[in-house]
Amino acid sequence: MGVDRKAEEERLIAFMIGYQKGKMDDFEGLYAALKQPLLRYLWTFVRNATVAEDLLQETFLQIHRARQTYTPPRPVRPWIYAITRHVALMHLRSGRRRKEMLANDQLPEVPVPPEMEKLADRATLHKMLSELPQPAQEVLMLHHLLGLSFLEVGQVLGIAAGTAKVRAHRALKTVRAQLEEQGGEA
Amino acid sequence: MSMNLLPKSLRRSILADLEPVRPLPPAWMRTLQAAAVAAAGLALAIFIFKLSPRADLEQLPMWLSWGCTALQLGVGVLLLGMALREAVPGQGVPLGAVVLGLGTAVLMQILVGIATWMHSPGMPLVSGHGMSAGITCTTHDAAMALPALVVTLWLVFRALPLRPSIAGLLGGAGAAVTADALTHVLCPMSDLRHVLVWHTGALIGLMLIGWLAGKLWERKQYENG
Repeated sequence: MGVDRKAEEERLIAFMIGYQKGKMDDFEGLYAALKQPLLRYLWTFVRNATVAEDLLQETFLQIHRARQTYTPPRPVRPWIYAITRHVALMHLRSGRRRKEMLANDQLPEVPVPPEMEKLADRATLHKMLSELPQPAQEVLMLHHLLGLSFLEVGQVLGIAAGTAKVRAHRALKTVRAQLEEQGGEA
Repeated sequence: MSMNLLPKSLRRSILADLEPVRPLPPAWMRTLQAAAVAAAGLALAIFIFKLSPRADLEQLPMWLSWGCTALQLGVGVLLLGMALREAVPGQGVPLGAVVLGLGTAVLMQILVGIATWMHSPGMPLVSGHGMSAGITCTTHDAAMALPALVVTLWLVFRALPLRPSIAGLLGGAGAAVTADALTHVLCPMSDLRHVLVWHTGALIGLMLIGWLAGKLWERKQYENG
């Protein structure tokens, strides 16, 4: 798992270096490697697949405009997720959000951390996780699902690694407590 | 694989501007650039305003005179470095470190002022001339800090600060602290009314200028984007 992550990170760094040299193939490689994880991350903000797709394009345009700010061989993912987060937050700040929420009331898409899957059925976990505050959902998403270390999560969110760890721990504790409560009631 | 194909509009936009770019130097290297400009700015201001060390400098213990100057210069450069780190996505400074850095900057300036006043009363504050002396000192502070502030903000805004007002605040604090590092051995007055109003005021004012520059840049980006 660790080796896979390292190899994946090295692949992303190679894509970024090529992309900074002006190679379209490397941009396409970066896009292919990151499209799905970035879409999942964007869903935690907008909860709407169409809007997430639009924001994904906006994210890659922003990445393109800021590509010189990536310094090899630093890890690529904290840099890209931080830009993605910024695009999502700017979108939420704009007036567009309210209209979308009214026009499209899809169920929230909050994926379940693998170690929680055994605690309850997916529907229950989905519901509980989607009711967590946004910062907690974000940390769980970045760490448990997208595989960023707490140090990287901290870099993305502009918080200390310890704070990210505490947020994730508290969020999982809250969900476990709710599950126990439900079990007790049943 | 077909799921990951680039949308046509995105491909067009990327191809329209796919020139090679040179990666931004690491934050420590940009900090050195800012520090070099800060040093040149300090030297230039001292030369232009013909400033000289305070007359009672020898009455002050070494740790308080040049020791605190070195310490403040170190803290100032550290704050400039934090501003430049903050300007790159994924390298944001944790909020606790921001608060600690800014708090240290202000507190250190006040404590150095109080310690200096306890060791030497310096030139007395002449009744009726407090404001003119204060304006002169604030002008010196601003002139000494300005080159460092300008170059730091320039380096910050040519990157991609995701919290530009925080980057500006740190840059303003860094520039102000490097200026104050020398001001406290140049300004002949120790009177706390003068130090706390005009010198601490200049420090806070420069921090606010950095913060405001960040806010304005953010608004401009938001309107353009």
